[in-house]
Amino acid sequence: MAESRLQRALGALLAAAFALPLVVLVVRAFADQWRAPALLPQVWGLRGVELAFSGEAAAAFGTSMLVAVVTTALALVLGWPAARVLGERRLRRPAFAFLLLAMPLLVPPYATGAGLTEWFLRLDLTDTIAGLVLAHLVAVLPYVVVVLLSAFGPQVTALEEMARANGLAPLQRWRWVTLPAVRPTLAAAAFLGFLVSWSQYGSSLAVGGGRPMLPVVMLPFVRSDPQVAASLALLFLVPAVAALALTARAARSPL
Amino acid sequence: MEARGAARLRAERRRTRLALAPALGVLTLLFGGALAGAARTSFVPLGGHATLDAWRAMFDDPAFGDSVRFTLQVTVLSTLSSCALALVVALAVRRRSLAVRAFLSLPVPVPHLLVALTAVLWLAPGGLADRALGGLPLTLVRDDLGLGVVLVYVYKETPFLVLLLLAAMGEALATREEAAAVLGAGPAQRLRWVVWPAVRTPLVVGAIVVAAFVLGAFEVPLTVGPSYPPTLAEFALQATQGDLLAGEGVAAATLLLTAAASTALAVLAVRLAKDVSGG
Repeated sequence: MAESRLQRALGALLAAAFALPLVVLVVRAFADQWRAPALLPQVWGLRGVELAFSGEAAAAFGTSMLVAVVTTALALVLGWPAARVLGERRLRRPAFAFLLLAMPLLVPPYATGAGLTEWFLRLDLTDTIAGLVLAHLVAVLPYVVVVLLSAFGPQVTALEEMARANGLAPLQRWRWVTLPAVRPTLAAAAFLGFLVSWSQYGSSLAVGGGRPMLPVVMLPFVRSDPQVAASLALLFLVPAVAALALTARAARSPL
Repeated sequence: MEARGAARLRAERRRTRLALAPALGVLTLLFGGALAGAARTSFVPLGGHATLDAWRAMFDDPAFGDSVRFTLQVTVLSTLSSCALALVVALAVRRRSLAVRAFLSLPVPVPHLLVALTAVLWLAPGGLADRALGGLPLTLVRDDLGLGVVLVYVYKETPFLVLLLLAAMGEALATREEAAAVLGAGPAQRLRWVVWPAVRTPLVVGAIVVAAFVLGAFEVPLTVGPSYPPTLAEFALQATQGDLLAGEGVAAATLLLTAAASTALAVLAVRLAKDVSGG
């Protein structure tokens, strides 16, 4: 089906409509003075970045990063065997497993966070990294399993059988056959898991009110000082974009 | 022989259960614990006896009714607009280059809070759109109707839904469409009988994810929504900020109700999708 120039222009226009508005975050972050009605800032500078780093944002960045990395790693370890069983359709009645995986995606994270707080208060887990990781795990684990299960199937099993027939030990088989075969999907699952934890607002607020997380720290600045908010937004975006780049690299699989 | 086969089957089944145990066990404990915890908070105030006070306080609050109406309005508007726009966009770009699709999916990894901030910078009074146009025809940030909230969700969720739709519009679909064209099906007929059945399931799944998120999230309404009425999640948050002890119970009751609502919406969507499937 031949495409007209009009159709091609429409595609580009749509892409621009979704991509371009985000540029304003960069401009706002480095605009020390930007009075109406000017369309471009009068004075450029680093006031926003300096203010963003002088507060609790640096600590919040560290906490958010630590929680996101630990949660994602934990979700991958816990989720791998389950994803494998579900992906290979080894379960005769998988409905219950899928229901259990779907439920946390339907229930607001703020609700699960608030509910967990009831127990975390007794266990001294509120405002701790462990508490935040457990609360984030409720949302991250289902996403990781659901994405990862699509990696497993007859092709991977057949490759593993071949490796076994050729005398590879289980660990070698995992390292040289299974891992490369599932790597793109594994990377996608890790990326999604990281992102879900990284941008988690509701459960972080409920469980870790006393421990600053980046989204929680950022929100009040949207009204009080947009330049600081935009600087924090860029700080917020860096790991997300880096994770996306890493995923894209890992996805270039030999298979 | 037969006994050995049965033993192997049992061992295989045990291995399967063992593989599922870590993930499903942790989820059951944490998610089940969370629901039980929320229920306990809503019925048993700290150091007190079981009571329905929190639920009564929630239903008696005049803001609660407004909040339910406003939340449903924002959820339905955001979900339906995103789905409709995503269908149009996916059909428009499905044969476009990778670059077009990459730019289009840029908002997907951007957290909701950042999209809300972007909306404020563009659309608030004195924002970029206001400056460029010399005045805005309508209020979009912190407006009473929640149009700003809907706009943020449509901008953020449409690319996500487009990705789901494009994944379902692969080579196989193109082949089937060509076959239909050869058999004399017009564009509208191909859309109804070839494309729609292929994209219906991912669209419904995506819509459920979007609706559940909109129902329960509050960073977007906190940033671009009106100060009144609150969404249900905001209503819960405000309850905890007002009266510290009783507020936790009201918040838990509200959040349990929201959870029930999004589960009911999901069940309804799955039912509807089966009914309108057209065979």
